[in-house]
Amino acid sequence: MAKVLEGPGMGLMKKWGIHVPNYVVVTSVDELTKLGQANDWMKTSKLVAKAHEALGSRFKLGLVKVGLDLNGAIAATKEMIGRQVGSITVSQVIVSEMVPHKEEYYCAVKSTREGSEILVANCGGIEVESNWDRVKRLCLEVGQAPSAGQLEKLSKDAGFTGPLAKKMADFAGKMFTCFDSEDAQYLEVNPVVTRESDGELVALDAVTLLDGDAKFRHPDWNFQFAAEFGRSYSKDEMEVMAVDSKIKGSVKFIEIPGGDTAMLPAGGGASVYYSDAVVARGGKLANYAEYSGDPPDWAVEVLTEKVCSLPGIKNIIVGGAIANFTDVKKTFGGIINGFRKAKGDGKLKGVKIWVRRGGPREKEGLDAMRALKDEGFDINVFDRNTPLTDIVDKALQK
Amino acid sequence: MSILANKDTRVVIQGGAAGVNAARRMAEFCYLIKRPLTVEAFVYPPDAGKTNEVPYGSGLIAIPIYKTIAEATKNHPAINTSLVYIGADRAMKGGMEALDDPNIKVVSMITEGVPEKDAKLLGAHARKLGKVFNGPSSIGIISAGACRLGVIGGAFDNLVLSKLYREGSFGVITKSGGLSNEIIWICSQFADGITTAIGIGGDAYPGTDYVSYLEMFENDPQTKAVVIVGEMGGDLEERAAEWYGAKKRRVKLIGVVSGFCQESLPKGMKFGHAGAKEGMKGEGSARSKSDALKKSGAIVPPTFGALGPAIKETYQELLKSGQVKEPVEPAVLPRLPKSVEEAMKADEVMVAPLIRTTISDDRGDEPCYVGYPASELINKGYEIPHVIGLLWDKRLISKQEAEIIKRIMMLSADHGPCVSGAYATILAACAGIGLSQAVAAGLIMIGPRFGGAVTDAGRWFKYAVDNKMNVDEFLAYMKKNVGPVPGIGHRVKSLRNPDKRVKELVGYVKSLDIKTPCLDFALAVEQVTAVKKDNLILNVDGTMAAVLVDMGFPVDSLNGFFILSRTIGLIGHWVDQKRQDSRLIRLFDYLVNYAAPKRREVPPLK
Repeated sequence: MAKVLEGPGMGLMKKWGIHVPNYVVVTSVDELTKLGQANDWMKTSKLVAKAHEALGSRFKLGLVKVGLDLNGAIAATKEMIGRQVGSITVSQVIVSEMVPHKEEYYCAVKSTREGSEILVANCGGIEVESNWDRVKRLCLEVGQAPSAGQLEKLSKDAGFTGPLAKKMADFAGKMFTCFDSEDAQYLEVNPVVTRESDGELVALDAVTLLDGDAKFRHPDWNFQFAAEFGRSYSKDEMEVMAVDSKIKGSVKFIEIPGGDTAMLPAGGGASVYYSDAVVARGGKLANYAEYSGDPPDWAVEVLTEKVCSLPGIKNIIVGGAIANFTDVKKTFGGIINGFRKAKGDGKLKGVKIWVRRGGPREKEGLDAMRALKDEGFDINVFDRNTPLTDIVDKALQK
Repeated sequence: MSILANKDTRVVIQGGAAGVNAARRMAEFCYLIKRPLTVEAFVYPPDAGKTNEVPYGSGLIAIPIYKTIAEATKNHPAINTSLVYIGADRAMKGGMEALDDPNIKVVSMITEGVPEKDAKLLGAHARKLGKVFNGPSSIGIISAGACRLGVIGGAFDNLVLSKLYREGSFGVITKSGGLSNEIIWICSQFADGITTAIGIGGDAYPGTDYVSYLEMFENDPQTKAVVIVGEMGGDLEERAAEWYGAKKRRVKLIGVVSGFCQESLPKGMKFGHAGAKEGMKGEGSARSKSDALKKSGAIVPPTFGALGPAIKETYQELLKSGQVKEPVEPAVLPRLPKSVEEAMKADEVMVAPLIRTTISDDRGDEPCYVGYPASELINKGYEIPHVIGLLWDKRLISKQEAEIIKRIMMLSADHGPCVSGAYATILAACAGIGLSQAVAAGLIMIGPRFGGAVTDAGRWFKYAVDNKMNVDEFLAYMKKNVGPVPGIGHRVKSLRNPDKRVKELVGYVKSLDIKTPCLDFALAVEQVTAVKKDNLILNVDGTMAAVLVDMGFPVDSLNGFFILSRTIGLIGHWVDQKRQDSRLIRLFDYLVNYAAPKRREVPPLK
């Protein structure tokens, strides 16, 4: 899943005929000032300014300002841009018009095993979370689009009446079309409001998760996906991602600040069992990492260098199951090169390395790892006869 | 017995190189269990009409490649299974094509990164047709002793170690490819091995889920227990638990789930598999899955490490109750024939080398010339003449010798467009011939009359010096046994119109403090011959030859100096013509003396 920030998310909704408030995304005060001169709505409407970053609880952090005039929005932007929140520097601000409204509603479309589900409620904002039973659902099979009748029934079931029922049904229909056409995995508008000026339903806020795997058929997805855990990617993480996008197979790397057990395991499945084992033993993970699908040795080498550069690590877990087709000798060759480089750079002092692996050319690979002992590495090497996660137990034994 | 893949399975593989690799792995398994190769066809439009070669034992089997699934199944009506190895952007089309073929009942897709919607559409389509769609991102399916689909099971040695040559009693379903192998291995070490192991793929919505496969295992009497390896995200494990708890099941269920670490990790963190993602409200967490499985009556070891002992315990119970018997291992297992390289490494075979080299080795990270790494030569200031010295005479020549060679090359790099070599290259260039062929045309001209006298000149000057002949003895010997003296004589140059190149080279070499017996002898010969005839002077070939022999270069290498130097000029001429976009040229008839008989009548054929 790939999260999309509000700006591009609203852009996609607008593309499929959903009313959204006027908005601009800016990176500087100058830009906003110029846009303010060019757009009438910015002079006439009350405005909202929000930090346009993948940050939770922006309101609490003072990164959402409402009821502003243009000068107020400029001042808010000036204050927000460049602000440091954890590892994120605010670099964009979204300024949108405030839409005066009375009632708030809720609409979402989510992916399910069978296909998708449209959710509608005649309450919105924070109210919907405490009244989840008021959310009505329409389940759809993959490849099936909702009929006008189904949508109207959903709308009425949710408590909409009169002309509003028809409007909500239309709104939900457009949400589905957007969801289906854009390979979305989750679309949520909370709140949906009735614009007092023309009585149309407007999406005031958008949560958009797209299927990153479908990017190949969406040439107009010209936006960056946002990190999904409340911070931006670090330089090392982005470097590994860049490598990952270039190679056959995959390499993955996420830093977890404050940990002391570094992970360098093979396999999307095994890597999680290794992480579990560390946590179960009371260890503190310094990162998540994984390589699989017989990646080239240089890619594993890059990953290894990043893992070795993690601060304050005491152990490195080079774990892995019995590979199907990943060449153990070749991938270990990359890890060994990475270790040597790190050692040459003065890293790995006092760090213990733990290895367990099987698969094609396992003997050669494990022998090469064992030979690192002679080069002064503190390394312990085990083969398939040692159960998968036992090296974690050994590493964390005090 | 087994499920999904069995003795009747016949396979078409959709895709290119990765598919061929899978076929090779499948052939290894077929060889292990002594069944003919299960792969009957490939579908890969770019190579349609060709064949892929798949090693089987010590032989090679040619498998035809078709453009469409329909063609493949028409020609191979036994095909009932397709493996999809097509890129994510075209995988759905390929998968649909296979599902729509009436002969094909099972489609397994290895492709990773398939859009979620596509995977759902494939799954729904298969269910509608009553077929099985497995994957995407599935490592494959393997039934011990019966059939392997894909690379699941790993290398040949692992197949043997994991006892996949014969049936056991445990079914395996995993999302992870690597862990499928691990569980197969554990089942073979802690119990009697597997019946069928299925990789369902790590995506959020696999085409077929645990429950469908659990049903199949439940109906397979050979399977006594099923191991499922789950991870956080989605609700497949919860559904499996629901199925297991719904009524008394014949098979025992053993399950582990990964992702407990997520409880202490940043929310929303991405794991290796697309589907490994906790829901927004905690559903799909490892804990909820694990609890659901426990509640259903499944055996849920607390950690992955405890899985082996749990499997062992289950197996002991099955043995005790008489449901399974200790397996009998075959006395002899087939071994995969070793490649020549592997056999050599194991000291099992001696191979007589085909060629022998004494100058160059490319097996390291860079070429070594007579043992010296090229980069080290560069970094220590050596130059091209030294490389020539190494590769032609296996020695590091001195700075002075290198300077002489450099001058020889500079003097003979080119001699204008009219000489045979350059003219031939220009003619070829004008005819639109490519660089290497046009330069080769020029090089072909090098012979006894043009540039190719260096070796012969060196040979005979050396012969004279070695045999301590005087000039008269030498000329008499040459006249009697050889003919004109190579290296003596020039088409246009003469004593009065000397060759500046010769003067330059002789002048330089004589200015050095070195012994030059051959050059001295050659100059002495010139003193005599030039008196006889004005143009019988020491020419540039003869001078080079004498100098190089004095430096100790082997006689056979001498023409090489001219060939190498002149190649510089020939390449220049080709590039020059090319840049000018020269037109095709031909001789004018006035440049030809037509000495053939005049036109006449052809007599009747007798």
